[in-house]
Amino acid sequence: MREDNNRFPQLPWILLGLGIVFLAIGSYIGLFVAPPEMLMGQVQRIMYVHVPTAWNALLAMTFAFVCAVVFLFNSDWKWDARMEAAIEVGVVLAFLLCCQGSIWAKPTWGVWWDWDPRLTTTAVLLFAFLGILALRKFVDDPARRAMWSAVATIIAYADVPIVYYSVRWWNSLHQLQSSPATVSRQFWLPLRMNAFGILFLMTAFIMLRARVGSLRLKQELAPPPQAGEVRG
Amino acid sequence: MIPGGWNFVVAAYSLTAAVLAIYGVSVIVRLRAELAKGSEER
Amino acid sequence: MIAALRKELLLQWRSKAQLMAIFVFGAAALLLFSFAVGPDAEALRKFSAGFLWLGLLLSSTLTLAESFHAEMENRAMEGLLLLPASARALYYGKAIANWLQLVFLGIALVPVMVVLYDAGTTRIPELILIIALGAAGLSAPGTLYAAMTAQVRSKQTLLPLLLFPLIVPALLASVKATSLIILGDPMNQGKSWLVLLLAFDAIYWSLCGLLFHKVVEE
Repeated sequence: MREDNNRFPQLPWILLGLGIVFLAIGSYIGLFVAPPEMLMGQVQRIMYVHVPTAWNALLAMTFAFVCAVVFLFNSDWKWDARMEAAIEVGVVLAFLLCCQGSIWAKPTWGVWWDWDPRLTTTAVLLFAFLGILALRKFVDDPARRAMWSAVATIIAYADVPIVYYSVRWWNSLHQLQSSPATVSRQFWLPLRMNAFGILFLMTAFIMLRARVGSLRLKQELAPPPQAGEVRG
Repeated sequence: MIPGGWNFVVAAYSLTAAVLAIYGVSVIVRLRAELAKGSEER
Repeated sequence: MIAALRKELLLQWRSKAQLMAIFVFGAAALLLFSFAVGPDAEALRKFSAGFLWLGLLLSSTLTLAESFHAEMENRAMEGLLLLPASARALYYGKAIANWLQLVFLGIALVPVMVVLYDAGTTRIPELILIIALGAAGLSAPGTLYAAMTAQVRSKQTLLPLLLFPLIVPALLASVKATSLIILGDPMNQGKSWLVLLLAFDAIYWSLCGLLFHKVVEE
């Protein structure tokens, strides 16, 4: 198990570097080069980090789901480590997304939370995945932990479209549906750069975090050393 | 047209950078710890 | 599976005291909600559906946690589960038993709601239908998570932690549908919410049934 994550041991670090560069350039363009938007003024610039974060949060959650399904079929620990990494990164991105959404909402709508269906679904998903991380902490047996969190991930992810549509319907009865996150075509450059930036960072994080998970699993599954015997 | 709002923009961007940086550092620290633990037992 | 169901119902009937206690808990919750809002009859009536379902949701954590208690006490699960088919029978037996309990609980809490919040309605059959569908939405994933958390420490916190985010659509739909019955439904939206509940129930009763054996196998 030691070798299979390390086919390209440098890859996460390369991605990390690339990610930082892309995010820095994209943010710079978004902050200082792109002109302020007509209706929203400067606040629009938040979209240049908010939208990329949203794409990547969803991507992380989807990858977690895929890992869960794969694990159910092949019971390969590698996929459990990847799933755990994807869930953790997904939680971080979802949390970030909710904060960004809140910071956006205050100047735009005057309240810290506007019950936007996408954001509300993210909040629900955030809690669901936090629950799965908590579940993992409380189960000691690695096989059970892996199986249960995989099942829980599948169940939680299946809920995403249902939550989205129910919140959308629930909200549309009270609020005129306005879509805040439309970005006009001229402004695509900072958006794309930041999207790739966060994508590279996220991939690097998942790879590194999966390595942590694999190493921990190896420790857990290794037989206890005999007295006096040297391991390795 | 929403006037001003630079504070919010700065807040959003700094928060994003901070969260990503802190999480990244935490992953790297944990990785180093696991690798160190592994080589300790050899 | 019928045998499993019958066994479950027998077990539940024998622990009537437990059911009574949970009902009192639910009623107490409804009382506390009114203290949270204050003696504002208008507001209480407006939110009565929400209070009813929150009360039922909180009570459900107790019923669900109980449902695997017997198995855990006797370590009976390990013997029962040699085949996925028997796991499925166990799941549906338990889920139906939990569902029935929640339905009775819900119906029992309605008079409490009517009295505390002045939230009466004449459309009783529809109300019972909503309670049945909503309870089904709680019971399906709830039973699966109850099986999981019964086998770990800190089960009391873990079950609600896992269940609550998941059942948000069922909660939204049940509250909206109930609210429309109590406060009036001029645009006939109630049906759409029922359809949503039905879809949620269909998806989770099948998905959880499919996955259950993974949760209880050794």
